[in-house]
Amino acid sequence: MKIKRYWILIGILLIISPIFGIILADMVGYHEPLDIAAEKLGLQDLTEQMNWTPFLDYTVPGIPDEIGYIIAGLIGIFVIFLIGYILQYLAGKKK
Amino acid sequence: MHIPDGFLDPISCAITYLIMVVYGVYAYLKTKGQWTTENISQITVLASAIFATQMLNWPIPGGTSLHFVGGALAGILMNPYFGFFIMFLVLFVQCIIFHDGGITTLGANVLNMAIIDVLVGYALYKLMSKLGKENKNYKLIGAFLGGWMGITLAGIAAGTEIGISPNFAYTLSVTVPVMAIWHFILGIIEGIITAAVLAYLLSKAPHMVKG
Repeated sequence: MKIKRYWILIGILLIISPIFGIILADMVGYHEPLDIAAEKLGLQDLTEQMNWTPFLDYTVPGIPDEIGYIIAGLIGIFVIFLIGYILQYLAGKKK
Repeated sequence: MHIPDGFLDPISCAITYLIMVVYGVYAYLKTKGQWTTENISQITVLASAIFATQMLNWPIPGGTSLHFVGGALAGILMNPYFGFFIMFLVLFVQCIIFHDGGITTLGANVLNMAIIDVLVGYALYKLMSKLGKENKNYKLIGAFLGGWMGITLAGIAAGTEIGISPNFAYTLSVTVPVMAIWHFILGIIEGIITAAVLAYLLSKAPHMVKG
């Protein structure tokens, strides 16, 4: 796959992601099956009490959720590539 | 599918972390000598694409949703061992940067999505490829079944993990059916996406299909 096509795909996925991750979620008010199962058991989600990151749930402080969701996606992809480049550097050095 | 902090008891967290570490070492030993810049580049590209795709939830009116997981696809496109590292990279970044999936439950999430989903998806794909003597249509059916059953079994595993708790001994009968039924239904979409991506890559970039 050409690298240009890859970046176009990533761009499209990120641009439409708030529709599926934020807007429809608010409209339909859905939960994942895991949440349904946990609710039946009365399990307590400790994510907010234990939180360490400013980007909790793919949000960016001070930015509307829809835009923040796209920026969060870019941050995640940047970190994945950063780890990839470190691995490539280590692999090249070892070679 | 991502189990948050608070859903598992400490013993379950410890056991699943141990499984993650042991399998990670095993996967590394199985791929030793194959960590070329080309393979690392493909791992990075696939991990980032799966990460972006996981941000899209499929809503079902009535209140349920699921997102693409991609474990079967990762295994099919490389192999189940590199597939583990692709999914681990996705889950690690989601956990550390966005707290999507707990830090105490990272081992369980890796077990479900980077081990079970990848292995089940890959096994069904290889089985169908073998039955069809490497025929493309059989491969696509294998990818569909792999994606579908991979996410279904990963969901059942997650249901089992949250159902096994010293405080709630009877709860497996509640969590497993919920997870199994919903993932069985919604997992069809995972199967379709897995087969569609494979079909595209087999025709446009067959060198990327290494599994």
